[in-house]
Amino acid sequence: MGEFTLFEMLRIPTYDNEDYATTGRVTIDLEKCNGCGLCAKVCPGKALYVAGEGKDRKAHMHADFPQCMSCNDCAAICERDAIFVSVPYFFPFFFKTQGKGEFSPPRKF
Amino acid sequence: MDDELSTELREMDDELDEMLEGEDLAPPQGDDWNPVEKVILERRSVRKYKDKQVPESVVRRILEAGRFAPSAGNCQPWKFIVVRDPELIDEMERDARRMCRLFRFFMDWRTSPLGYWIPWLLAQTYIRLLHHELHPIPMGAVFAISEGNLSLFHGAPTVVFILEDFRGVSKPKVDIGCCGQNMVLAAHSMGLGTCWVGTIKLLTFTPKWRRRLGVKFPYKFCEAVTIGYPVGHPDGMIPRETVETDWYEDGRKRTTF
Ligand code: SF4
Ligand code: SF4
Repeated sequence: MGEFTLFEMLRIPTYDNEDYATTGRVTIDLEKCNGCGLCAKVCPGKALYVAGEGKDRKAHMHADFPQCMSCNDCAAICERDAIFVSVPYFFPFFFKTQGKGEFSPPRKF
Repeated sequence: MDDELSTELREMDDELDEMLEGEDLAPPQGDDWNPVEKVILERRSVRKYKDKQVPESVVRRILEAGRFAPSAGNCQPWKFIVVRDPELIDEMERDARRMCRLFRFFMDWRTSPLGYWIPWLLAQTYIRLLHHELHPIPMGAVFAISEGNLSLFHGAPTVVFILEDFRGVSKPKVDIGCCGQNMVLAAHSMGLGTCWVGTIKLLTFTPKWRRRLGVKFPYKFCEAVTIGYPVGHPDGMIPRETVETDWYEDGRKRTTF
């Protein structure tokens, strides 16, 4: 978190520079996943794909800069609770995330 | 004396707050969600639709929910265009894709035939002028659309365009937001899926769709919402980042998440 420095305010990073930007990451429980492919269909960043045959058919995340915006849509549609976001996306400088805490489901206060 | 005591108590309180901060507390267990909260919390954007068309009466009811949204000075700065013709939707998809390719031609320095430096400079210039549109995430969408991996309307059978009357009171775009959110929540409560499509901006760089859909002064394109029956069960409560909240009460400031 923290404050923005003047340098950060002025430096606008451009799209997907692999050198410093990190995209969201999901964790896929390969035990639970049955490769139905729903998550890959709904993913807005097209960050997921299904591969493998028969029993080994599982969802995977593209290794090469998946455009994951950590929206958790995949977690919402997965009927087997096999997938969830483990790392939120992060862009540096001007687009740096601020004022956000841990991931949490809706809380009943 | 009293003052001292209260400062001391306050300090102790602050210390306790600090100690508790970051600790894994059991989630609070208040009352169950009421139906409205459930609709709000379970709604997810839907990007995969069944072919089945939504009945007209249902779409009309959704528009009613939008009509009764709050707006600054009751100015109601909106107008709706409902598109349910697959040919029209396809044509928009094609145009959006073409526009994305054009963007890439001029600004994607890794693939552009213009070489490295010209697109790089253009990208650096335009991102300063249009940092909302050229944010890395929509840029990712632009790449995906240009490659045909993503479609503008996700195959939805009904698209509602919300036009903005730019003479509206105060901040018409905020009112459009309220109006659209009323509609998507109403749609969700009827078992439908919806997705906001801001990328219709791609269709507004040329006058073609303004002419085709008769968008004239004082209206302009603002947002679109896709409506249809979702594939699978995309709705559900999911974890999401908590948000830093400053809280002023009892003469002091707390930060909660
Ligand atoms: S939706 Fe769940 S079960 Fe289906 S492929 Fe994705 S992770 Fe696997
Ligand atoms: S969190 Fe969202 S963007 Fe990331 S993989 Fe899941 S559906 Fe795709």
